[in-house]
Amino acid sequence: MKRLTLFLVVLLGAYLVWTTQDLPDWGDPASPANSYLSTHYIKKAYEETSVPNLVTAVLADYRGYDTMFETVVVFCAGLAVLTILRRTKRKHKKNVKFRPQREGVDIILQNAARLMIAPMQLFALYVIAHGHHSPGGGFQGGVILGASFILLALAYDLKSTLRRFKENTVLFYSGLGVLIYAGIGVISLVLGGNFLAYAAWGGLLGISEVEAHSYGMLGVEIGVAFTVMAIMFSLYLDLASGGDLDEGL
Amino acid sequence: MLDAIVVILTVSGLFFFLGTSVGLLRFPDFYTRMHAAGKGDTLSTMLLLMGLALYNLHHPSPVSILVSFKIMFIGVAVFIASPTATHAIMDAGYEIKLKQWVRRKEPTTPYAGTERRKGVAK
Repeated sequence: MKRLTLFLVVLLGAYLVWTTQDLPDWGDPASPANSYLSTHYIKKAYEETSVPNLVTAVLADYRGYDTMFETVVVFCAGLAVLTILRRTKRKHKKNVKFRPQREGVDIILQNAARLMIAPMQLFALYVIAHGHHSPGGGFQGGVILGASFILLALAYDLKSTLRRFKENTVLFYSGLGVLIYAGIGVISLVLGGNFLAYAAWGGLLGISEVEAHSYGMLGVEIGVAFTVMAIMFSLYLDLASGGDLDEGL
Repeated sequence: MLDAIVVILTVSGLFFFLGTSVGLLRFPDFYTRMHAAGKGDTLSTMLLLMGLALYNLHHPSPVSILVSFKIMFIGVAVFIASPTATHAIMDAGYEIKLKQWVRRKEPTTPYAGTERRKGVAK
């Protein structure tokens, strides 16, 4: 039976490899994917959205629905971890082998963290704000922001970090990000456009419709950054402490 | 002239990277390996980044100077982060009392991780 299965799998695999011959070559300019849709994006993206970064234009404007639900997926992943780990009553004390003898007294780590965190957060804000002009965007900037808080929790301890950035606030920001993204979409519905059609914002902000695309993308990136930042930190909180937020690893 | 400096910096950076990898593979225990990784990695990254920043100044213009400045910023981040990470990993090994390497096989007492920090208030 096993041999038959192996034979079938190998046969199927060989067939799949054989069919790849019919696929267009790598980077073939005449392939179907390159000859219709992408030429439109490459030629028209700047005229239509006034965003020089093509990737962001596709990600946050042409493909706005997809990115919105990516943000929702990040949000749901955070909620799932929260539902599973948080609020579980601990029956016995944590049995961690080689638990460190001290928490938050390593001067070298603390000072390095103090040096690093502020530039990291500044850089994250730059990445978010410049996402539609240069490489970067909400996901990347949000991850850097979240990592700066995780660094704070690693170098100091979890409790003092939670005093600065409370769990409720973290969860509030994770929901707020999705709300900003969906809210921008809904408001453009109210203003008479389609869902997430930023052109409708032009009249409200007093700018041309093309420029409104650029500003809409910026707003959407900010929403993404909020959610990603908060979920990153929330994941760390729950996974590192086993859900009781008592002490970090 | 600029080319010569760039080549010297890059080649010495690569040389130290080679030394790092050899040390990482050939040193006898955890601490000496981390020592090789931490020091060599930082130095060679700095040398390579300096070489790149200088190479970028071939045709000096505000844009290329800005790019060189950004490259040096990466160097600053690496210079702070890499030794700190090495220190944290080394410290974790020290805490769980990893044995250090000795030339003669004698029974040695392992480090006492807690005693070292007696004076430090929690």
